[in-house]
Amino acid sequence: MLSGSGDEGLPEPRCHLFHGGVMRRVVDAFLVTLLCTATAALTGCSRSEPRQQLGSATVYGTVPAGDHAVAAPAASPADDGNWVMPGKDYAATRFSALNQVTPANVSKLALSFTFSTATSHGYEAPPLVVNGTMYLITPFPNYLYALDLTKPGAPTKWVFKPKPLAASQGVACCDTVNRGAVYDAGKIFFNTLDGQTIAVDANSGQQVWRTQLGDIQKGETITMAPLVAGGKVLVGNSGGEMGVRGWIAALDEGSGKLAWRAFNTGPDKDVLIGPRFKPFYPMDQGKDLGVRTWPPEAWKIGGGTVWGWLSYDPETKLVYYGVGNPGPWNPDQRPGDNKWTTGVFARDIDTGQAAWFYQTTPHDLFDHDDINEIILADIPWNGQRRPVLFRPARAGFFYVQDRRTGQVLSAAPFGYVNGYKGVDLKSGMIIPNPEKATHAGRVVRDICPASPGMKDWNPSAFSPLTGLVYIPHNNLCMDYGAMQANYISGTPYVGADVKMYAGPGGNRGAFTAWDPIHQKKVWEIPEDLPVWSPALVTAGGVVFYGTMDGWFKAVDARTGKQLWRFKAGSGIIGQPISYRGPDGRQYIAVVAGVGGWAGAIVSAQMDPRDPTGALGFANAMKDLPQKSTAGGILYVFTLAR
Amino acid sequence: MSSPWRVSLVAIGLAALALAGCNREERHSRSKPIGETVPAGTSPDTIWPGGTVAQTADPRARLYDNNAPAIAAGQQLYTQMNCVGCHSHGGGGMGPALMDDQWRYGGRIDQIATTIAEGRPNGMPSWRSKLTEDQIWKLAAYVRSLSGQPSKDAVASRAESMSSTTPQTLTPREPAHTSDTAAQ
Amino acid sequence: MSIQHYQSIFGNAATETRQFNTLFVIFLVVCAIMYLAVIAFLILGLVRRRRSDAANTVEEGRHHDSNPRMQAGLIGWAAVVGTGLVALAIASFVADRSMAVAAAHEKLSITVTANQWWWDVQYNAADNSKMVRTANEIHLPVGVPVHIYLKSNDVIHSFWVPSLAGKQDLIPGRENDITITPRKLGIYRGQCAEFCGAEHAKMALVVDVDSYSDFIKWWRHQLEEAAPPATPLAKAGYAFVTSRNCGACHAIAGTPASGTVGPDLTHLASRRTLAASMPMGEGNLYGWVADPQSIKPGTRMPTIGLEPDQLHAVVAYLETLK
Repeated sequence: MLSGSGDEGLPEPRCHLFHGGVMRRVVDAFLVTLLCTATAALTGCSRSEPRQQLGSATVYGTVPAGDHAVAAPAASPADDGNWVMPGKDYAATRFSALNQVTPANVSKLALSFTFSTATSHGYEAPPLVVNGTMYLITPFPNYLYALDLTKPGAPTKWVFKPKPLAASQGVACCDTVNRGAVYDAGKIFFNTLDGQTIAVDANSGQQVWRTQLGDIQKGETITMAPLVAGGKVLVGNSGGEMGVRGWIAALDEGSGKLAWRAFNTGPDKDVLIGPRFKPFYPMDQGKDLGVRTWPPEAWKIGGGTVWGWLSYDPETKLVYYGVGNPGPWNPDQRPGDNKWTTGVFARDIDTGQAAWFYQTTPHDLFDHDDINEIILADIPWNGQRRPVLFRPARAGFFYVQDRRTGQVLSAAPFGYVNGYKGVDLKSGMIIPNPEKATHAGRVVRDICPASPGMKDWNPSAFSPLTGLVYIPHNNLCMDYGAMQANYISGTPYVGADVKMYAGPGGNRGAFTAWDPIHQKKVWEIPEDLPVWSPALVTAGGVVFYGTMDGWFKAVDARTGKQLWRFKAGSGIIGQPISYRGPDGRQYIAVVAGVGGWAGAIVSAQMDPRDPTGALGFANAMKDLPQKSTAGGILYVFTLAR
Repeated sequence: MSSPWRVSLVAIGLAALALAGCNREERHSRSKPIGETVPAGTSPDTIWPGGTVAQTADPRARLYDNNAPAIAAGQQLYTQMNCVGCHSHGGGGMGPALMDDQWRYGGRIDQIATTIAEGRPNGMPSWRSKLTEDQIWKLAAYVRSLSGQPSKDAVASRAESMSSTTPQTLTPREPAHTSDTAAQ
Repeated sequence: MSIQHYQSIFGNAATETRQFNTLFVIFLVVCAIMYLAVIAFLILGLVRRRRSDAANTVEEGRHHDSNPRMQAGLIGWAAVVGTGLVALAIASFVADRSMAVAAAHEKLSITVTANQWWWDVQYNAADNSKMVRTANEIHLPVGVPVHIYLKSNDVIHSFWVPSLAGKQDLIPGRENDITITPRKLGIYRGQCAEFCGAEHAKMALVVDVDSYSDFIKWWRHQLEEAAPPATPLAKAGYAFVTSRNCGACHAIAGTPASGTVGPDLTHLASRRTLAASMPMGEGNLYGWVADPQSIKPGTRMPTIGLEPDQLHAVVAYLETLK
């Protein structure tokens, strides 16, 4: 058995052919072909829908005929051609009744003059126009310019420099922006990054009063535009990512003295919850919920800031505002519903006493601040007029709520949502999706909408003529990995690594015309970049908005067809306005200056190689530095003669 | 060469290699000496009237720069002390990016340690009262590793956070340009 | 004064360990009987072979009839072994099920998060404002099943209080759990049982089993904020603790110090141990605050380098945190 050469006794080779060179090549070629076909087939499978064309509108329906929504009458007076507050009126319609510019002639819109604000951070504010003077408030260092519109070229009348503390730049989470000033009774009111509210005489530019409200040592800043009504200046703080305690304060318009301050966490006496408080749903009813729905002491650093938009109904004297996210982003450190964060308050403007509250996302898991604009409207309801409010919320639902009680009449998603399953109208509660619940020590992937929400702070516009709400918004999903956060006052209190990317369809943003009564899309324009600019709609039937790579666009309010566009020097995230100039002509104005949370990769010169930068936005905006540089330039357009 | 000589030479070579790793792995559990202050004023500047001034390196730089336990401890402190909240994992956000080659206030380890201890005018807080000097130097060692400055055998090969940037063993070395040329 | 029990796996201080030890004894007895029987048969076999040397030779080509007594003996032995195994299986199943019963009726829920090298203990409550956070010490009411959720912030640790329960790992990124129903009052020592770094040996745990009313009293006390300092020395210590390094890592309820990465210090002085390794006392407090690196080298708490009067002030304040 063991004699002879070593090969005896070993199994014979099965097939001589495979040892030959030719056969092997044939087999290789066959395998490669098989692999390529399979890959092609599989990649073809993922593209089940035809890709929407970026920048052009897809029409899903028609403008509703018949009785539709109108703006709340008391909150939306007749247009005098000025623009005195960021929302245009207390109902936050951002609607201009000027109608010289129409879809027929808007292609003749031409540049009238420009102005450089000499700043290069995100410009989120609208220009204000009051009787021939234009006012511009810049991001840090918060210069206030007054331009004389009666003279050619709009020369500068004066500049007010508030000189806020430079260290406040270190506690501003999402670029050092300012969302606008307000004009009332001869004074311009605005906030500075380091927490001051300032009143300046509109004619002379001299300071009338200055009140320190926020403390940067605690991480507080102020970026919001105040609301001035009923003799009060309403201001809220920022800093939900810094472990601050959120509040809204009212200052006396004449003297600047504090009239009242309501916190959004803590015992009822701090939150100004008293006998008048009647929340509609049982989930918001109870005593001292601002303490009981938090672990001990957590409400003191629990966030709940007021950095977004305020609306006001002069008829009921109620001011409506949304509350920001609870802190930290790691939800396991704050078990409980975390009242009164991520919800909407209605308060009496004179005393601050709460009338009602609705919590949009109890125990928020995704940083879905609820601070978006609240449009006050009246809608036909069972044959009568019902006073409601419209809210395209960060959570992804368009809420229509009765503004007397807070009752949710309808809530429908205006984009792709998988973080929640819907809103239960009976209990009012949002229905969470347990598969997407974020937890410490775990990475949850593909959560839609991402932290900036289906729509962030940039407000939509409402046209009482078409009855549609024009929503500039995002289409982003994210991966979210929470971890333990440490609290050190004056430093971030977050506890999450986030990575955002485009949602279904591949476009990162969209501009949608929404029918609030039937709760459906009428038309939608997908955009490559998130649409971070506010919207403007005019009586002439033209809608204006800007993109983050600098295109200022005019589209038809009924069909979304693009009618005109202009390439500005920087991305646009500021509010476009329309006013009547001293010569009686209609002007459209916007300041272009990319930045904000979405544009931080440009305005903060971030490194795109770290996808978790800017709380996750860096991953989604790696191409922005090629598409836009920083800036801060005002563009004013009018119809060419 | 005969066999015993060859063996000895190999043994000496290996011993030399092992010794080279000694400083890299030396652990400091507290500052030496205790209570020493971080030098103020290690200027990031590159222009001196009248001519160049030789900059003497801080002796503690040798203890912490390229030191693996220091970089690992710094990595833990970076998250715990909320550096990650402003600077992310090197990409920046509220604060400037730390993984690029632009150093507004200097990119040497002693300059970074001074930045952390003293704070800087546009929003960097001063940590002198909240962190010990040993912790500040460890943080500075880690911050340097975000842009690939230390040697590859001292840095962490794996990030502790959600997969984000390339591991520091693969991060390309960025030359440190002092003083950000873009004005803020 | 509570009785301090030996750290022993035969402590039998909890229902689960009792059940487990009962099972252990059953196994021991059954297996001992088997073992002795096997030894006996082995000896018998050795002895018998010597006596009858030719009896069992296999003859070539002839089938040798089996010895009927041997046959019966082997069948009987197989039956005994089979019965024994079945009995053990049933006992094991019963023990496992009865240990699981307690988990279904939890009345109290605690989350223990292990860090290098200390235990973060948090008592959960339906009313979140009644949650309690402490460190290195667990208080339990006697006779009440408590469900302990186990998490880790860094590396793998293992929760082991021998008198009360077996080992259960705490794995980063994962939540494990264990149920304990303590039966005897007293103090029990626990220990981290999975190597977790240089100071693994100094990561002990104290479990204090009280009567139900004492436990509720302890819980209510833990909910109280830290009392404001009274003496000038304690006030100076308070100023240091809240404005300097301490607040960056530690939390003291009722003060600005709200750090979460280190143990909660609100009721530090009323705990039995310090730094998970030393008995609580003034001397140990001085030594720990002055130079933690010499006691637990590599621990996360740094040696600050306090001046003598700062050290006196800080320790004076910490001693008021009862």
